[in-house]
Amino acid sequence: MAEYRTHIKIIGDILSTTRDDLQDEDGASVTYLIRKANVSHSRISRILKTLVSQGLLEQVQCDGASKYKISQNGREFLQAYYKFTSFADNFGLNI
Amino acid sequence: MEFLLENILNLIGFLVGLGIGVMSLIGFRNTGSPTLFRLSIAFFSISAGFCVIWVGFLVEDFILKSGSIERWVQTLGIAIQTVGYFFIAFSHSIKSFFPKTKYFRSVIIFPLFLVSSVQLEHLFRSVGFILLAYGAIETILSYFENKNKGAISVSVGLSLLALGEFLGWYSFVFPESILYSASLIIKIGGLIALFIPVSKVPLTKIKFDADFD
Repeated sequence: MAEYRTHIKIIGDILSTTRDDLQDEDGASVTYLIRKANVSHSRISRILKTLVSQGLLEQVQCDGASKYKISQNGREFLQAYYKFTSFADNFGLNI
Repeated sequence: MEFLLENILNLIGFLVGLGIGVMSLIGFRNTGSPTLFRLSIAFFSISAGFCVIWVGFLVEDFILKSGSIERWVQTLGIAIQTVGYFFIAFSHSIKSFFPKTKYFRSVIIFPLFLVSSVQLEHLFRSVGFILLAYGAIETILSYFENKNKGAISVSVGLSLLALGEFLGWYSFVFPESILYSASLIIKIGGLIALFIPVSKVPLTKIKFDADFD
């Protein structure tokens, strides 16, 4: 059975993909993120829009297509995310 | 002896609850996670509950000097702690059991006014025991899934708190026995076990990917 992922976990997966698993230096395309983070197109579009507006991701135009790179704020968020995932794990909970 | 143990227990409970509550709140503010929000409510409630009883003991000791703490203060403190235990259990997906209609919501609290504070204390202790036992079982089950050793300590802590609540409740049957002191010592042990894994979470800002930039 597929594991249920919370909204925060999906955001964590997207950010970690843009940090650790980039296709090239320009950033990750939407298609690549959909595949890596396993999220539908409509949902990832909303999440990416929010993450860019919150300053966690940087959107760059490359060959007419949007690509996404993690920002410094995004790195700090991801650091906090991992830290408090471990904290919640101690209580047997998912953040 | 019992008085000293009560003071130690309530002080430790206040500090441990506050520590974990603050950590959960920092987590919530950093990540926006609802789970961490519920945990912060849970541990701030537990901390407030212990604080109420501790202050009750201090007031009795230094001002009233009547020889025993006011019953309603103890009941109030345990009730606030039970709210905290509820939120821990709720975080483990307990569904809300409150009635949906306004009528039932309004009458459900009536029984609380019809029983004495001693009976209320029985009620809160037994509810607290059930919630703590549920939280302990869910936490140890999560250990079998993710093998996080911190979960063992938290589960042991919740189990000891549950056992302490049970013995505290059972000591009403044998008021002069060692049961109440034993329940206090067990609860102190539970709070310490609860704090051990949490104290290992680094709160200092670590430079991330120092050689990445």
